[in-house]
Amino acid sequence: MDEDKPARVAVTVTVNGRRLSAELEPRTTLADFLRVDLGLTGTHLGCEHGVCGACTVLLDGRAVRSCIMLAVQAAGHEVTTIEALANEGELHPLQQAFVDKHGLQCGFCTPGFIMAAAELLERDPDPTEQALLETLGGQVCRCTGYEAIIESVRDAAEKLRQQGVGPLELLAAALEKNAAPGGGE
Amino acid sequence: MSGSIPNSLEELPVSEIRWIGKGVERLEDPSLVTGRTEFIDNVVLPGMLHCAILRSPYAHARIVSIDSSAAEEMEGVYAVITGSDAARLTNPATTAPEGWGGYCLAHEKTRFVGEPVVAVAATNRYLAEDALELIIVEYEELPVVANAQAALAADAALLFEEHGSNVMLQRKFTWGEVDEAFDQADLVVSDDYRWNRLGANPMETFGCVVDWNPADDMLTCRGSFQSQSHMGLARSLVLGLPSNQVRMISHPHGGSFGGKGGFRGVDICALLSKAASGRPVKWMEDRLEYLLAGAGQSWDREYRLQLALKKDGTVTGLRVKLLDDMGGTAEAFGAVSAAKPLAAFTGCYAIQAAEYDLTLVATNKIPQSPYRGMGPPPHNWVLEQTMDKAARELGLDPAEIRRRNYIPADAFPYTIASGNEYDSGNYEAALDELLNMADYERLCAERDSAQAEGRLLGLGLANTIEPGVFDWNAYAIVGLESTGVPEGITVAIDVMGRITARLGFSLEGQGQYTLVAQVLADYFAVTPADVSIVYQDSLSAPPHFGPGGSRLGVAITGAALGAARLLERKLARVAAVLLQCGPDDVELMDGFLRVRAMPEARMHFAEVAGAMLARSDLLPEDSDPQPQATYVWTAPGRTPADEQGRAKSYLTAANACHLVKVEVDRDTGTVDILGYWLVDDCGTRLNPVTVEGQTMGGIAQGVGAALLEEYVYDESAQPLTSSFMDYLLPSVYEVPRVEKKALTTPSPFTPLGAKGCGEGAMHTTPAAIMCAINDALSPLGLSAREVPASPRRLWKLLHENAD
Amino acid sequence: MKPPAFEYAAPTSVAEAVALLDERGFDAKVLAGGQSLMALLNMRLARPELLVDIARVPGLDSIEISDGCLVVGAMVRQRSLEFFPGLADSHPLLLAGLRHVAHPQNRNQGTVCGSLAHADPAAELPALAVAAGAEFVIEGPDGKRSESAEDFFITYLTTTLEPAELLVEARFPLLREGSGWSVQEVTRRHGDFALAGAVVTMRIADARVADPRVVAFGVGAVPLRCTAAEQALAGAEPGPAAWKEAGALVAEAVEDPLDDVHASAAQRRSVAGVMASRAMEEAAARA
Repeated sequence: MDEDKPARVAVTVTVNGRRLSAELEPRTTLADFLRVDLGLTGTHLGCEHGVCGACTVLLDGRAVRSCIMLAVQAAGHEVTTIEALANEGELHPLQQAFVDKHGLQCGFCTPGFIMAAAELLERDPDPTEQALLETLGGQVCRCTGYEAIIESVRDAAEKLRQQGVGPLELLAAALEKNAAPGGGE
Repeated sequence: MSGSIPNSLEELPVSEIRWIGKGVERLEDPSLVTGRTEFIDNVVLPGMLHCAILRSPYAHARIVSIDSSAAEEMEGVYAVITGSDAARLTNPATTAPEGWGGYCLAHEKTRFVGEPVVAVAATNRYLAEDALELIIVEYEELPVVANAQAALAADAALLFEEHGSNVMLQRKFTWGEVDEAFDQADLVVSDDYRWNRLGANPMETFGCVVDWNPADDMLTCRGSFQSQSHMGLARSLVLGLPSNQVRMISHPHGGSFGGKGGFRGVDICALLSKAASGRPVKWMEDRLEYLLAGAGQSWDREYRLQLALKKDGTVTGLRVKLLDDMGGTAEAFGAVSAAKPLAAFTGCYAIQAAEYDLTLVATNKIPQSPYRGMGPPPHNWVLEQTMDKAARELGLDPAEIRRRNYIPADAFPYTIASGNEYDSGNYEAALDELLNMADYERLCAERDSAQAEGRLLGLGLANTIEPGVFDWNAYAIVGLESTGVPEGITVAIDVMGRITARLGFSLEGQGQYTLVAQVLADYFAVTPADVSIVYQDSLSAPPHFGPGGSRLGVAITGAALGAARLLERKLARVAAVLLQCGPDDVELMDGFLRVRAMPEARMHFAEVAGAMLARSDLLPEDSDPQPQATYVWTAPGRTPADEQGRAKSYLTAANACHLVKVEVDRDTGTVDILGYWLVDDCGTRLNPVTVEGQTMGGIAQGVGAALLEEYVYDESAQPLTSSFMDYLLPSVYEVPRVEKKALTTPSPFTPLGAKGCGEGAMHTTPAAIMCAINDALSPLGLSAREVPASPRRLWKLLHENAD
Repeated sequence: MKPPAFEYAAPTSVAEAVALLDERGFDAKVLAGGQSLMALLNMRLARPELLVDIARVPGLDSIEISDGCLVVGAMVRQRSLEFFPGLADSHPLLLAGLRHVAHPQNRNQGTVCGSLAHADPAAELPALAVAAGAEFVIEGPDGKRSESAEDFFITYLTTTLEPAELLVEARFPLLREGSGWSVQEVTRRHGDFALAGAVVTMRIADARVADPRVVAFGVGAVPLRCTAAEQALAGAEPGPAAWKEAGALVAEAVEDPLDDVHASAAQRRSVAGVMASRAMEEAAARA
């Protein structure tokens, strides 16, 4: 039986600023690696075929569907999940904006929306309506009817512009700070 | 009991209301936006196994043999069960109507594609799915009943041979002098309609983790249960366990909308756990399973609707004939959706005579489940669209024909023909507000000139009732006959003076924990953040049902106020001792127990509670040392149904009036929503922000229903829409921006005057969009009478001869 | 919805990748961005024994303009091409087309060549490639070969790629100076596969249509180049009459279109003509 089993592969990946190594079955999806192996359960699975976007995470700063990606494909890259956003209990401006503007109801899709919005605002601090729709159009929410989500992202964009900082820039600073004292691996 | 609840904000023991009625930030949100909320798929228990389910590829087939030996021998597999295990160890599902249920795993035959046949528990889901591939099932195909008409054929195959027919229920209900109304009508308008299957599809599918402890036969089920107590009772009946040995632990869930389901999954995991010596077993339904055979399919209806009218547009009679395809069994209580229209059968209109000719049949599709609105959305659509047709024939504006038929504002409480009582409302005011806001005259002129240019631009006006605060008696006609749905809360103050509320439902998105905190914060003059809400499992919580039928906001407000009032009285008795006066001389005001005649003699409630818990020396020996109280709220004045199904059922009747502007692309059959306006009235808005969220969410689902969402089956009942590439949920592009206004006509029957509003725009949006499409098509003499109005259907309608 | 077991290889050269593919034949499958393949794996509708991940091959992610072509390597993500500096000027047709491809979250991971090799007839990229007259560079055990996009697509999800061959780059000729272009499609929702669509390029010379190129997609087994429509357009006077006539020829050219839950065959045929006419109108306006 054992010789039939495909070899496990070694994966080294940086997740939320920490470098990690694991041996995995090649078929392990990035989503399952994050959720099951690393316990980062804020990334949710809504459809497992790349349509709903609940599983959206950042790969080197770009929003991707972690359900239709293998963990081995992330090897050597940096993955950022919803868990990296809040800093010592203080919500990230994107998270705070979703709270303030009622951009969520059940909240299951919310981490995916926030990660997708983070990519957008990092690249484009003052997105047009069209740019907002393009990004949010790749994420499905069944509760809110979207209007409040659009308002949430707008609100976050405004707050970030006032702070003069991008959403990921902010994150990098926080991760650095948290990793500083005896941090690293 | 309702007498003991404050009925208006003025009766609350505070000088200023600070939280109720305000857009209070939700307590639930910080945990959700950080990804910390414990959805069921996050749960990992020691020794937990993972279930995967092998499903029937045939709509109707006899199971000849099952060979699961290779799967049983696979490394990592701990249990394999089949229908014969289910038949040996369990009872068939409880159903409504009764006697149309199967086992959790198909026994002897399968009744729909996707019906569970074999289940496996293995150390992880990947392995469990591998094991399914080693199982060989031999089937013998049976003749298929592919739709409702086929089910009624004389030679139709039978889903349940013991019934001798596929008809689950056939009855005609007559309320008032219907024949007379039609005989004496100046005009009878009639049309046939088809509403195709669609359903909830919450972003999180159903999941559970179940363990059946072999030592004490205690069954513990964790899961995303919309109503844990209801689910638990059914499990005890199916699994043959005493009800107090079934403990349901509900986790927050990623949406429900009635269509969370999971009955079979829990039973299967229970049997797998039993077979695996009590190890916990997790089943996380995946999206393909949900679309194939989950709780996501509702309302598969063929309608004929007839209106009897006078020349002036007064509607004197309504006949509705409904043939509803319930699918393979009645296990998921889909039949309730055919009963609920009784609660608002005549919509906003004072129609004195009505008839409901109802036929529910079994076919080889997936059993119907509840979905947001629970049945009225299709009913509202066919009524509203036929009102438009009547208006067209009489040369009346759609707004005018509605206005002429409204229940007048001074007629409430008003009993409709089908027996339910509407609490309050002012429909004409809502209509006027809407027409003003949208500048209806200008829109009509714009529509007229666009149509003159040959553009297919149309306006749709629809107004509907949302029955709120459901009661079982509403569903008596399909066999659910009890009266009263309890919802309880325990409110406790700890030794530090902090307030905790304990209740029996988990979150699914509507923000009810925040609502409880708002109510208690105002009652005790603290902030919502000072109140902790603690969920309790089905064996710990006071009697409860949870969300469903637009009830929880009202019910939980009643429960919270009732418990607070009881707790206040307890505190007052103790304060009276401490302040050395009579208990009736003490009152609560702004968080202080004070002597009525001498308000400066007062103690904060925290001090009183602290004394109860830590200074027994100060209290009389017979005093109750618990600064806590439980109150169970049920709707007042409900009545059992009569032989025609008439009852005071749903406690509240919210109303909404929507106006939509659409344009149909003649060449492609696509529809653009160009404008959307609405006015709604759900009484007192306890948290306007969450109410608005329900409205907007309802619009999105209504857009899906009208234009996008449909489960399609082929002629052998094979599903053709099995992924999110084919079952289309609305995205940000398809859902319109909405201009909206709220009116407030409080309910005289509910605590604080709020009405049920959770289903919201789902009641109205499909009707409004369909009315608009038909207005756009009217210059061509065409009418769209099938939902969804997909490009395929509209193109065919517009190019009939080409296809 | 978990993938079946497979082996995984991450070659570091095209030669190594080709050797692996050659060795395993139909049992091996190339993994680039995985946006189509992974969904099929999760559904267990694809069952390769070996996945050959070409993301670790250096150099495959390059985009450059050379010899009048935009040259797109096998691992270039759709989003990277979209953000390639100056694309709006150098190849506005591709940019516009890419924006119709699913959603940014898919395009961030999905590759241009992966979509071409997957050959879904309702996808935009194969049609864009045919419309743009793209050439594909293919490497196999016997070395490199080149093939035009028009010849590359055989039928649904099938191309001339042999099991041991890899599509290593796609070369999109830049549009001629003064070319107008348009991508038109009908989808159920934004980002969905097209029910029917059309890509048109043309120039206007001396108030006449010149060098028209008309491709319909979503209507047949492969992107459909409509030569009859092109012939009718060439030299025609730009205007509604010409667009209507040529559009009708597109509809006529559609053979045996897909009939599914989203659109009937007759509808697809007719809508393809409508999309083509609308694309002609827009292309002419841009020319």
